Amino acid sequence: MIRTSGLTKRVSTSEGELTILEDVDLHIENGERVAIVGASGSGKSTLLGLMAGLDTATSGEIWLHGRQLSAMDEEQRALLRAQAVGFVFQTFQLLPSLTALENVMLPIELKGDAGAGAGEKARGLLDRVGLADRWHHYPNQLSGGEQQRVAIARAFATNAPILFADEPTGNLDTATGGKVIDILFELNREFDTTLVLVTHDERLAHQCDRMIKLAAGRIAGEESSVEAVHA
Amino acid sequence: MPEASSLHSLFTVAWRLMWRDWRGGELRLLFFALVLAVTSVTGIALFTDRLERALLLESANMLAADRVLHSPEPPPAEINAEAVRRGFRTASTLSFTSMAFSDTGNMLVAAKAVSDAYPLRGEVITTMEPFTRGAPVGHGPPPGEVWLESRVLPALDLAVGDRVFVGETELTLGAVIIAEPDRGQGGIVDNAGPRLMLHMDDVAATNVIQLGSRVSYRSLFSHDDFDRLDEFEQWVRDRFEGNYYIRDVREESEEVAEALDRAEGYLLLGSLFAVLLAGLAIALGARRYSERHYDYVAILKTLGCTSRRISSIYLLIQLQLAAMAVLLGSGLGYLVHEGILRALRASLQVDLPPPGAQPYLVGAMTAFVCLLAFALPPLLALRETPPLRVLRKDLTQTRFSDRIPYAFGIAGSIFLILWYSQDLVLTSLLVLGVAGTGLLLSLVSLLFLASSGSAGMKAGNAWKLAMTAVRRRRRQNVLQVMVFAVTIMSLLILGLLRTDLIADWQAQLPEDTPNLFMMNVTGAQVQDIEAFFAENEVDANAFYPLVSARVRTVNGADPEPAEEALDGEGGGSLLENNQLEPADTADAAAGSGESADGEGRRVRGRLSRRQVTWSNELPPDNRITLGEWWGDASRPGFVSIDEEYADWLDLEIGDILEFEINQQFVSAEIASFRSVRWDNMQPNFFIIFSPGTIDHLGATFLSTVRLETGQKLLLNDLIRQFPTIVVVEIDALIEQIQTIISQVTSALELIFALVLVAGALVLLACVSASLDERFHENAILRTLGAGRKLILSSLLIEFSFIGAVAGVIATLGAEGGLFYLQEQVFEQEFQLHYWVWLAGPALGTAIIAALGINSTRKVVHTSPLTVLRRVI
Repeated sequence: MIRTSGLTKRVSTSEGELTILEDVDLHIENGERVAIVGASGSGKSTLLGLMAGLDTATSGEIWLHGRQLSAMDEEQRALLRAQAVGFVFQTFQLLPSLTALENVMLPIELKGDAGAGAGEKARGLLDRVGLADRWHHYPNQLSGGEQQRVAIARAFATNAPILFADEPTGNLDTATGGKVIDILFELNREFDTTLVLVTHDERLAHQCDRMIKLAAGRIAGEESSVEAVHA
Repeated sequence: MPEASSLHSLFTVAWRLMWRDWRGGELRLLFFALVLAVTSVTGIALFTDRLERALLLESANMLAADRVLHSPEPPPAEINAEAVRRGFRTASTLSFTSMAFSDTGNMLVAAKAVSDAYPLRGEVITTMEPFTRGAPVGHGPPPGEVWLESRVLPALDLAVGDRVFVGETELTLGAVIIAEPDRGQGGIVDNAGPRLMLHMDDVAATNVIQLGSRVSYRSLFSHDDFDRLDEFEQWVRDRFEGNYYIRDVREESEEVAEALDRAEGYLLLGSLFAVLLAGLAIALGARRYSERHYDYVAILKTLGCTSRRISSIYLLIQLQLAAMAVLLGSGLGYLVHEGILRALRASLQVDLPPPGAQPYLVGAMTAFVCLLAFALPPLLALRETPPLRVLRKDLTQTRFSDRIPYAFGIAGSIFLILWYSQDLVLTSLLVLGVAGTGLLLSLVSLLFLASSGSAGMKAGNAWKLAMTAVRRRRRQNVLQVMVFAVTIMSLLILGLLRTDLIADWQAQLPEDTPNLFMMNVTGAQVQDIEAFFAENEVDANAFYPLVSARVRTVNGADPEPAEEALDGEGGGSLLENNQLEPADTADAAAGSGESADGEGRRVRGRLSRRQVTWSNELPPDNRITLGEWWGDASRPGFVSIDEEYADWLDLEIGDILEFEINQQFVSAEIASFRSVRWDNMQPNFFIIFSPGTIDHLGATFLSTVRLETGQKLLLNDLIRQFPTIVVVEIDALIEQIQTIISQVTSALELIFALVLVAGALVLLACVSASLDERFHENAILRTLGAGRKLILSSLLIEFSFIGAVAGVIATLGAEGGLFYLQEQVFEQEFQLHYWVWLAGPALGTAIIAALGINSTRKVVHTSPLTVLRRVI
């Protein structure tokens, strides 16, 4: 489902070239829940961005949903994202001028479905994340946890088979973060999506099937989660 | 996915984003700028369209028609027939000098026979008692009646109802003429004495017109469609191969042409500045909007939106916005111009014709062109925003150069100005002005850069905090300074130009402008006439000798004029336009003013005989442009030439001209070239000799005098005592010109006020555009404990500094722009405006500081938490 081979990312800085990722090989199966963990600056978010087609690698190959990203231009990658990828971000990334409902409807509409079905589906998802009565609220009228729940509903709106989550609880307190993660995992199971979760929270990572550790841009280890195995 | 569904979803997303952005206030600035563009352009276009029509109509009153054809013999009947066929209203007049007799005396009068339809424009004002205010009537005298000017009645001891004899017929005095619309037009035939008006049908019975009589036929034409008038004019020109000319008021009256040309130039300039300011506002609005949408686009891209769809979405948003702005702006534009007209109804005193559709079209087109040039480039550049920005906020689009939007804006501005003005000179002026401002701004940027060495915000002191902020935001500040400078520069240019134009017009016709020309005065009569005026306590002016001369050779060769196509057809000169012998004419032309088409109107007839003079003193309003004026140390054998005339004949200082004067040949060396102010209603000459050169060849004399209304009866005594002199009254012409100038002045004031408002709104928009960063920064400062006083003080200093810099640049730009405009476009003499060098920077400081503080008051009155939470 997701595969990288010799994945390397370097950027130019005023002090010379900086290697962020180096020779990363990994393989994630359909329906698998994988956590990528590591300290700040280890390259977690860069790896997620590359795997999701948000950025291009300096060298190496990435296959996403059966397509080789390095052979695609930005337009093709965007179409692939529309078709196969959902996102949840640490900073929620909701459009502030749209209501919760409209934010959830947006990816459905961008896929070309602007009919009544989009609204119904979005309402159903908001209901599913516990925000049935807040659909008409704007992001700035919602708490951080509620905004993240809207973002989760949006991520599942197009039935994308792959979900990327970047520090989904990073901006939330422990209790709220716990509830958000519960919802995320619940929907993940329900929609049977592949989940790639970037986090520095090892407790959260242990809820996934597998945990890949990054250090200084390289894979430093990998382990299966006991908690996940027992789930 | 299905195509229709995709399109539908595109519209849905675009509409929803636009609507939500609107509600969230994101689009307001851009929308407001667009509305401002449409409102100001439509408003000014409506106003100028209607005012220009009105001024033309009002000016047409001076002709009693829209177009007029002069001829010394009856014009071909085909011309009138064609005019009628084209749906024109027509009338005719016939002017001649004659004697009017009563039972007790006689008097030389300027007779004018008119047809039934006379006048086609304007009104004749008549009364039953001489020297009283009259009432307008829409026609001339009926057959059998004669109307006379007031001063004839006491001279001939007449009253309304008495018999008056003209030639061989007897007519009844039906009314006293107080005014007639075209009194100021025509030549000496029309102005050689007090008016006598009769019906055209009575002319034959007078038996006054004989073969060789000095008469002037005028055919009058009128139509409400100006284009059809132009077509007819062209038809006459083509059909009669230049032997007959239809003229409008501009060709008939140089002074009016001058005023109208300058007013149009000013109105056009005002409109251009309004477009430019609106473009700036749109560019600012679009820039702010696009900057605030980087995150939007990154999210949309993350959700799978392609760059092409991003472009489509933002294009649709802008088109929807523009459509709404056009609707609202057109309505507001109408209200603005209507409001101004209402406020001015009293002073304009003109019935304005209804507006056409053109101004609305111009407004709408301006909105779309502005959008295309100023708004779309930065918005379309959004498509290059990397989706990775959702993870890294510092990323922005990199492929689309920052300079490209500027290039679009500049190209768009040039197109708009050229399209709007159809004038390459004005366009190049504005482009050069903007380029100059850009250069200055680069220097200012360097200044900012050079002083940005220190680190930190220096938040302990308001002055240091402000200066650090100025340096840190130097890129945005340079943009702001540019916008402020261009706006203040526009306002300064328009304000100063308006003041100078009005002052120039006032100087053209001062209170003591002579209203009487005396010609054909013999040398022996000069002293007696001076004594006559002294006795009656009237200030007489100098007498100029007049001799009729013709340039025969230049340095021994035939003169080679640049163009002599219309020789002998007469021009805009009151006196040149008569049908008298050259010896009776003068360049001393009340009415031979500078023409808008440069060499055009006044050039005509230059190689024919001209009235020349000699003098030790340089006439008032003449200026030596090359060579030297001889003054009191003059020697015979020199001549001074009008510079345009010299250009036309390709003359140089030191050239020897040979003249034919009274069948004798005289040579003179060119000592100087002069610029002559032809519109000052004073005697003016193309050619002036040094005393002693042509004095022996015989001359008549010309002088002017001002008679107040109460002194007008002296004219009867003057003519009685000196029956051979020709007296031409130009009161009517002066009054008509003053009316036109007063209306044009009102128009200038209005346009300036409108652009002033537009400028203020742009300044406000520009300040608003920089609010985001200031909000965020000051919220952080307040969170860290900075007091309101510190923040407000630093903002005041920051805006004052930016305003002062903008004021200095604006002053430089304004003086440069004015120099070019006055010297090249408005043909005025440029002078530095010293007070502006203080007022410009002071104005910039005061305005920008006030606007800045007013707009950023919210920065200190909104809680820091609220501000910080707004940031995505």
